[in-house]
Amino acid sequence: MSTHYDAIVVGSGITGGWAAKELTEAGLKVLMIERGPAIEHGDYKRETQAPWELPFRGEGDRARYAEDYPVQKNNRHFNEWTEDHFVNDKDNPYATPQGQDFQWYRSYNLGGRSLTWGRQCYRWSDYDFGANARDGHGTDWPIRYADLAPWYDKVEDFIGVSGSAEGLPQLPDGRFQPGMTLNAVETHVREAISAQWPDRRLTIGRTANLTQAKEGRSACQYRNICARGCSYGAYFSTQSSTLPAARATGNLTLLTDSVVEGLDYDAKHKKISGVRVLDTASGKRSHYTARVVFLNAGAFNSVHLLLRSTSEHFPHGLANGSGVLGTHIMDHANTLSAIAIMPGFETHTTYGGRPTGIVIPRFRNLDKQDVPGFTRGYSYQGGALQSTWSAAKREPGLGAEYKAKFRKVGPWRMVLVTYAESLPRPENRLTLHSSKTDKYGAPVLEIAFSHGENELKALADAKEQAALMLTKAGGRVIMGFDRPGPGGTSIHEMGGARMGRDPKTSVLNKWSQAHEVANLFVTDGAQMSSSACQNPSLTYMALTARACDAAVKMLKEGRL
Amino acid sequence: MDIDRRGLLQGGLGFAAALALWPQVQAKAASPLLVRVCDQVIPRTDTPGAVDVGVPAFVELGLAHGLEGAPPGNDYLGWLEGELTRHGDDLAALDKEAFSSREPSPWKTIKALILVGYYTSEAGASQELRYELVPGRWDADIPLSPSDRAWSSDWTAVDFG
Repeated sequence: MSTHYDAIVVGSGITGGWAAKELTEAGLKVLMIERGPAIEHGDYKRETQAPWELPFRGEGDRARYAEDYPVQKNNRHFNEWTEDHFVNDKDNPYATPQGQDFQWYRSYNLGGRSLTWGRQCYRWSDYDFGANARDGHGTDWPIRYADLAPWYDKVEDFIGVSGSAEGLPQLPDGRFQPGMTLNAVETHVREAISAQWPDRRLTIGRTANLTQAKEGRSACQYRNICARGCSYGAYFSTQSSTLPAARATGNLTLLTDSVVEGLDYDAKHKKISGVRVLDTASGKRSHYTARVVFLNAGAFNSVHLLLRSTSEHFPHGLANGSGVLGTHIMDHANTLSAIAIMPGFETHTTYGGRPTGIVIPRFRNLDKQDVPGFTRGYSYQGGALQSTWSAAKREPGLGAEYKAKFRKVGPWRMVLVTYAESLPRPENRLTLHSSKTDKYGAPVLEIAFSHGENELKALADAKEQAALMLTKAGGRVIMGFDRPGPGGTSIHEMGGARMGRDPKTSVLNKWSQAHEVANLFVTDGAQMSSSACQNPSLTYMALTARACDAAVKMLKEGRL
Repeated sequence: MDIDRRGLLQGGLGFAAALALWPQVQAKAASPLLVRVCDQVIPRTDTPGAVDVGVPAFVELGLAHGLEGAPPGNDYLGWLEGELTRHGDDLAALDKEAFSSREPSPWKTIKALILVGYYTSEAGASQELRYELVPGRWDADIPLSPSDRAWSSDWTAVDFG
């Protein structure tokens, strides 16, 4: 095979697939490199199996998981159906400082985490892009909503996002397929909240699940087992969406089971001169060159690769003249803020498994700082559901009467989970561990992360407000928390190669291009300068499409 | 152990299904204590009970492989035997005591495994409850009749219910 390409894309997940699609469609010959094995669309091993067809009924062999997947097993979507879509922790170690925890959920396979992602798609607004400038945390974003809006349009049109337009300035509407509908309880709660708090809106979760078929992909079948992989192609993944598009151009070469070990820097031309790749199946090492390189390995792995790519000119990591590479990492602080029993809907039910919940967009600290104690905000996701047999685990009882009780559809309950904005702070950072190495001899990544006071105060407010809203809607709150889960558990880890205006204080410019290395683009979560409180993948995709367009123009104009 | 092929048949399984199931039940003679306890938690009614669908063997598998929080190398069955003796063989009293506290207890783990084993068996999931792999549509608000059975395939409810 050829060793020279127009572009190399490192990673095949949500943003890698987008980079491959955009660059191949622009006519570039692209090499996409995936560290893990191939999983082809439709070849999802246990997609249709019933629990009774699996040895451990879906729960999996927890003793083996404790050995091989001590972190991944804590992910709600990790189970006996989906385990092949997650990384083996034992084989792929990372480190945390003593006394700190970080749950790093990873998927080292073709498609990356696009196979198991939560699919929630929310635009950012200027409340978000302007946040760092407004309150002084982090560095100012060099872009605003208007820069990204057309790229959000493009991404939504292509991936298919279902949702409901609400006209909210803090959560701009997108180009939606018809939204999935709220159930009876959610409709009631929406009305009760709006009546009491006109600035608060409960709406259906905007999700990359199709409600209308498009381009060879079926509409959602309402199985709600997305993370197993969907042969219908009804949710966006690399496999269902961007990879077929990239392949259709004839311009894509795909390498799987291939780890990028380093990027070589040519100080004379101030460019990446090559990419060093290890074929993990054969142990063979190769060198590839390209006019432009896109890093899409996943936020922390892209930073890891830059930190490892040292040279005489960049002794502390490629494109790290500023010294900020690895710093200001973020992950939303999340917690289960409230569960309430919702009486009065005993004659209502639903049919099918809706693969999205509800969202209550941020309502705090928008046009003015209206809550003392914390800056920025949070939003809720969740929904109303009727409990089923698993509720029996919590209840005393035995025998025919107990069995009969759980034969019935259970009472309605409403769940609100908070995602609070994570402030960018320099002490939350990625470094290379001083002594631990992985099985290929590379120093492992050390993740130092903790939530700050601002996040804790936001979650305390979120718990209080969740209880107020559900009580106002007639609910009886039975549980609620205000302490966040460990870092990483939102699976929104981001930052480390932040975008900014000043090369002295940021790694990337407004085109997701390294200030110091013209042919290097980092378009996954690593580029983020702040976290907002929305699920970030849609924004990563829009930034990737925008960066690809910029890179292609620069190539055509001979500027790269 | 009061289970036999006739029992499986009376449990509401078709003859072919009963024959298919028999080797699984037979393959490993589960602890008689566990068989008795499983039968007490989910007895046979107009649908098969826990013993009919091989739950005792699943509980043993689950205890050996750390499901539902069972620690490795546990002797939860030995614990259960001792606790039952202490409660004058009254499982209902033991159950009530365990659930009167929020603390974990080996009984809560064993009971959870019985429930998982039963409601994820074919009969438990699709005869006692309803199971639909491909609903094909979403109806957001439809009437619920008192005779409607719960869904074993409502995965959000299984997780958060």
